[in-house]
Amino acid sequence: MTVQFTINGVKVEAQKGESVIEVARRYGFEIPSLCHHQAVTPYGACRVCLVEIVKGGRKKLTTSCNYEVLDGIEVVTDSEAIHKHRAMVLELILAEAPDAEPVKKLAAQYGVNVSRFERSDTEMAQERHDCIMCGLCVRVCTEIVEVNALAFNGRGYNRGVGGPYLEAPQSCIACGACAWVCPTDCIGFVEEDGMRKVLKWDRELPMEKDENGRPIAPKFQLHYFKEKFGLPADIYKKAPGSR
Amino acid sequence: MEKLNVFASRLLPTEDFVCSGHRACQGCAEVLAMRMVHKELGRNTIAASATGCMEIITSPYPESAWRIPWIHVAFENPASVISGVEAGYKALMRKGRYPKRKINFVGYGGDGATADIGLQFVSGAMERGHDMIYVCYDNEAYMNTGIQRSSATPFGASTTTSPAGKVSIGQQTWKKNVPEIMAAHNIPYVATVSPSYPFDLHRKVRKAADVEGPAYLHVYSACPTGWRMRPELAVQIGRLAVETGVFPLYEVENGKYTITQSVPEFRALRDYLKPQGRFRHLTDDVIDDIEVRLRAEYRRLEAKVRMTHEEEV
Repeated sequence: MTVQFTINGVKVEAQKGESVIEVARRYGFEIPSLCHHQAVTPYGACRVCLVEIVKGGRKKLTTSCNYEVLDGIEVVTDSEAIHKHRAMVLELILAEAPDAEPVKKLAAQYGVNVSRFERSDTEMAQERHDCIMCGLCVRVCTEIVEVNALAFNGRGYNRGVGGPYLEAPQSCIACGACAWVCPTDCIGFVEEDGMRKVLKWDRELPMEKDENGRPIAPKFQLHYFKEKFGLPADIYKKAPGSR
Repeated sequence: MEKLNVFASRLLPTEDFVCSGHRACQGCAEVLAMRMVHKELGRNTIAASATGCMEIITSPYPESAWRIPWIHVAFENPASVISGVEAGYKALMRKGRYPKRKINFVGYGGDGATADIGLQFVSGAMERGHDMIYVCYDNEAYMNTGIQRSSATPFGASTTTSPAGKVSIGQQTWKKNVPEIMAAHNIPYVATVSPSYPFDLHRKVRKAADVEGPAYLHVYSACPTGWRMRPELAVQIGRLAVETGVFPLYEVENGKYTITQSVPEFRALRDYLKPQGRFRHLTDDVIDDIEVRLRAEYRRLEAKVRMTHEEEV
């Protein structure tokens, strides 16, 4: 079923169930966002994707990533009010993640170079480092990788992302999807001395080697693949190309 | 970054701007690389194309595989044209006649258009400091016109204008190091990429787009037709090229070198040469000579990495 509405005065068409941000981006309107990814369910954590939506004569500011398209709504993606609110939101995010390049860059576009706010000085804030609690890693781990290694822990200013009780998550296969998707690059993913390490979660796994002695991937991860897809037990012993 | 395949691959952009139906050969890694580059750059992109495979296959009259504004210009000047487009948009935005927004300006050409015919034009665009990306899809010869040698053809490769036979071993000169020439312009970003390492490619394209000023990407593009190899090996040969040290993946950010795909232990060069018919005539002593030179070049690259990282301290 198609839905018709306008974005910045331009008539657009979308499928029912799509979110405003996806339709807007498809038509070439730019909406900044830190916590949205097309592959996972929207979460509305970063609040940077604010837009104005006029519905039934009433105007309201709302996040476009988790707003489903409706017939006859009018969407405005940039105005003075939106600019002001986005700048404020980015200033708050910048206070939590002062070293994250993507955040700095986006904030600078909205005229925010230094945050007036202080970073909370709890132990948890140190632990979080540049994490902005967007939850992308958690969603990817649950929906795409399906191992549920990560979750939010704690409440309020003690909230953080990690394994259960903030210890190294035992079901993590060190696939690195979280490190790839992280908007602030704060997770860290390295391979050295035959070990695969995901730094933020303190997860270290030994690597399996193929017949030529070249590391392929962590043993635990390959075991997970073999179980999940019913692969032969010796498949990863062979070198790529001869499997 | 590269080992995080399987799941992270589902998080890559899904929208294609070089769409299917183009006329590339079976197993063409060049169009694969171009698809990935444009996936990452997204919708707000304007491209200028030199004459070459990627122009021919995407725009046979009256069709087009492009979903973004695209122009084909002469062999030598995509860099000049795209720098003009960039300057034009900049002026319009300054005068308020076009809304201020981030647009990616991409000029691209093959190795012939970049290393031979268009070298001075690319050099000029890089020197003038336009906010643009130049992408060289390097398939190591003029494949489009029938596999003639270019200055980017590697030593020993047999092509139609450097044929191997009784008196010649094929290409007699060493491959021109274009990324190094571009790095010498002191531009903010230079990188070598390969479609066999897709995450590395996506990350580098993003960096090149985000950087203020000119960026240069040198793409290793396997060509099964011209390299005389089986089409299904196109991706694997890209991996072998990195693992044997033929095509190291590195980036130069403001003069600072980083090897992005480190190779702890090189594979034997023969593994790379053997599947390719263009190298089939090479004798063992020639291969050893090539290997010695490749290792020396890699050591020089490593020395640059060390040197430029020390300077910072």
